[in-house]
Amino acid sequence: MKKIHILGIIVIAIAIGVIFISLKNTSTYADFTEAIANPDQEFHVVGKLNKNQPQIYDPKVNADEFRFTMIDNKGVEKQVVLHKSKPQDFEKSEQIVLIGKMQGDNFHANEILMKCPSKYNDGKPQIN
Amino acid sequence: MNTIDYVGERIWAGQLGNGFVVLSFVAALLSLVTYYLSVKDASFLKIARMAFNLQAIAVLGIVATMFFMLFNHYFEYQYVWQHSNTEMNMKYILSCFWEGQEGSFLLWTFWNVVLGLLLKKQLKDGVWEIPVMTIFALVQVFLASMILGVHILDYKIGSNPFLLLREHPEFSNLPFIQDANYVAKLNGRGLNPLLMNYWMTIHPPTLFLGFASTLVPFAFSIAALWNKKYTEWQGIALPWTYFGILVLGVGILMGGAWAYEALSFGGFWAWDPVENASLVPWLVLVAAGHTMIINKNKGGSLFTTHFLTIGSFLLVLYSTFLTRSGVLGNASVHAFTDLGMTGQLVLYVLAFIFISVALLIRDKLFQTTYIVISFMILFFSMIYGYSKFLLMFWMVSSAVITLFCYFKYFPKEKEEEDLYSREFWMFLGALVLILGALIITYFTSIPVINKLFGTEYAPPKIPVYNVWMIPFTIALMVLIAAAQFLKYKKTEGKKFLKRISYTFILSLIFGLVGAVPLYFLSDFSAADGAEKWNLISYALLLITALFAALANADYFLTVLNGKIKKSGAAIAHFGFALLILGALISTSKKVVLSKNTSDRKVSGLGAEFDEKKSILLTVGDTLPMGPYLVTYTGKKREGINVYFKVDYLKLNKDNKAEYDFSLTPHVQDNPRMGKSPEPDTKHYLTRDIYTHVTYADLNTDTLALSKDAYNPAKNYVGHVGDTIFSSNAIIIIDSLRTNISKTQYEKIDTMLEVTAVLRCVDVRSKIHMAYPRYVIKNNMIIPVPDIVDDLGLKLVFWKINPEAGSIEITMSERLSNTKDFIVMEAYVFPYINVLWLGIIIMAIGTFIAILERLRANKTLSA
Repeated sequence: MKKIHILGIIVIAIAIGVIFISLKNTSTYADFTEAIANPDQEFHVVGKLNKNQPQIYDPKVNADEFRFTMIDNKGVEKQVVLHKSKPQDFEKSEQIVLIGKMQGDNFHANEILMKCPSKYNDGKPQIN
Repeated sequence: MNTIDYVGERIWAGQLGNGFVVLSFVAALLSLVTYYLSVKDASFLKIARMAFNLQAIAVLGIVATMFFMLFNHYFEYQYVWQHSNTEMNMKYILSCFWEGQEGSFLLWTFWNVVLGLLLKKQLKDGVWEIPVMTIFALVQVFLASMILGVHILDYKIGSNPFLLLREHPEFSNLPFIQDANYVAKLNGRGLNPLLMNYWMTIHPPTLFLGFASTLVPFAFSIAALWNKKYTEWQGIALPWTYFGILVLGVGILMGGAWAYEALSFGGFWAWDPVENASLVPWLVLVAAGHTMIINKNKGGSLFTTHFLTIGSFLLVLYSTFLTRSGVLGNASVHAFTDLGMTGQLVLYVLAFIFISVALLIRDKLFQTTYIVISFMILFFSMIYGYSKFLLMFWMVSSAVITLFCYFKYFPKEKEEEDLYSREFWMFLGALVLILGALIITYFTSIPVINKLFGTEYAPPKIPVYNVWMIPFTIALMVLIAAAQFLKYKKTEGKKFLKRISYTFILSLIFGLVGAVPLYFLSDFSAADGAEKWNLISYALLLITALFAALANADYFLTVLNGKIKKSGAAIAHFGFALLILGALISTSKKVVLSKNTSDRKVSGLGAEFDEKKSILLTVGDTLPMGPYLVTYTGKKREGINVYFKVDYLKLNKDNKAEYDFSLTPHVQDNPRMGKSPEPDTKHYLTRDIYTHVTYADLNTDTLALSKDAYNPAKNYVGHVGDTIFSSNAIIIIDSLRTNISKTQYEKIDTMLEVTAVLRCVDVRSKIHMAYPRYVIKNNMIIPVPDIVDDLGLKLVFWKINPEAGSIEITMSERLSNTKDFIVMEAYVFPYINVLWLGIIIMAIGTFIAILERLRANKTLSA
């Protein structure tokens, strides 16, 4: 066997290794029920903001803490503690993806992705 | 159906544009067919060339028409309406052009035309003209169809940029379309504010020129497979490959510069799928460039070169699919929205894989079988719908066939490469690049994998990418350093090791001198297990990147004696090493200045949750922040931008605060697009101080508020024990006290007094009591409000519902509760200028290498 072939095998082995190791550690999309069943494990939870529940953000106390309630795609509601400042245009979000884990009664998120479909495509032309 | 006579629509513009669109498609198709026929019959060549020129004119016509419409605000056209408006600054009109998908396809086609015309001239009457231009024409047919916008059966082919707003399926139901005079009243929706940045006017054209230039080596590579001339093409294709490396590399980092200046994720690279989608073809193209040199100097690496040149183009196609099909969904913040062209995009990627594999097979019968089976699968899928199983079956068999062809058809070297030979180390480098590209592709493709296999994996976060990519970069740096000192074929091992050891020792010393204070002195002992490994890997990367930079500088000075003409590679590699150094230091030693000063408890959730990086600045207050004192001095609104002025002060020798500089990060408050923050950065030679506002009240003018000004009251219906939420407290209805019992209530109408006992728990858990009263006197309800002064809350108890047993309370918050403040993040990026310097040097080096290759080709052919 030539060096090149040995190298080729090494490359393939590393690639497969990376895939397996990373799959083991990758967090998955889930709903609150699954996150509650596996506390302290990281999940991505997709859902909607419950606009009837209070949103508490008081930067005077902690600029890195924002509390709100989200309803996941299965309809389960949970109080969320976002360990970040309150995102701009938060109320307008149509869909939220939270990255974080359950602890106690709250879902603690350290990252949030929001979709505001109205942002680029609200279908309402501007007429002066 | 539509009988309205619309006034003022400039129908001719759309007709002109559409005429060019159809012409570009037809001309591309004609040039494809005639170039193909010229293989056998040279008399078609004249028509083919003319058709290609005609296609070029048509594409220019489309571009010119579109710009004319944008400049003159033809808002009756959907593309113009959606991407521009009358208020915008005309210097951003270029960005409007390529903001939408159709425009970016146009940009790509445009560059293909430019490159195609150049190539046509260069190859005229040579053996490569016909096959290379056939491939070019084929790609142009595909691209031209992306903007056709026709429906055949149930399939939509392309998305047309010249549709009238009222013809567009998404907008045709709008009520204003009923107004015959709508054109005169219409204004566009305008450009995404994030794109109003000078980088955004030059980044997309550069990037797309880079994408387009991957087509040149691809076309040569396919032409070579087709003509079975496997080696002769690399000399001509090499300068083009370098050109692609140069332009795509610069284009990618321009995107980084834009992200750094205009976006607020705090950095120049976020491993966003859209960024990865352009990085991966670059990595593969770089690998291709290197195997081409191996082939040119020593022979061999043929299959690898074909594989990589074809691969980089296929990856460009794949990246268009990723970013434009909507498949990324939640995974990316700046992918294009789905225009319903997913099927078409997938088909194009598969079509080019098919062509490449089919041409790789040299056995006629085998080739025919592959072609027939592929077409059968295609027809089957078109009739019965697409099947995951068939797609995967086809992909796997194509991969197996590729591997088979490699073993069967490509000549194998008799001799083994010497361990101490440049080609061996260069090949190793190419392998490292491929592996890195594979892993990034895999991570980026997780949403696609989810779609195919029904899994639910989330896309990896930034640190995951960093952890995986650092080892590859370390390996690359060592290879870059060493390969220069090796000769092709064979080098004396001992001599080489001795030669290279000087720079290695030097970089080890410098590296350790740098790494010890950077990573080991304070951070290391505090770090946990995984973080310790990260710090060690940073140190290793620092040492090896220094090694790569020093070795190439050494090679340039001592071996090449500073001869610029010959030093393209040395300079480019030196620049690349600097780029990595800058990226490493600015990212790993990025300092959060804006430490949150709250007395928040450590959550025990992990380090990611304990990052406190937001600072609250109330107007007028001065707070310490890192080595500075910062004051938020106020905001001002200019158009739709709200600027927040933050002064940075420094303590002088006498311990007095002295003004240093000001930064004015702003938030664009776009009524149609929402709020988008833009950072402001103070640039020093050795570091940048970067700030952006994450949260602020944009509207209230808080300066002139009296104590009696309240926000509108909100009403709450509740019982004893219920809670009301204000922005700064939780209010619990503790009890109700009354001067009479409940049974007496209905009989007495002259005098009644009920007091609600409200317990207001503020965010520090301090309790404030409030006693609003509900009073009935002479049949009149006279509520007596109570004000909690500390919290700025006014509470009115104004209604009792005896049947439901509930009470109603309104609560209003004092306007001055919200004393103007901003929440801000601030970072220091040390030595980020090394990164920008690196890319400039790398670009210069690559440019020198292109010139040198062109010169070599000239002397060869002369």
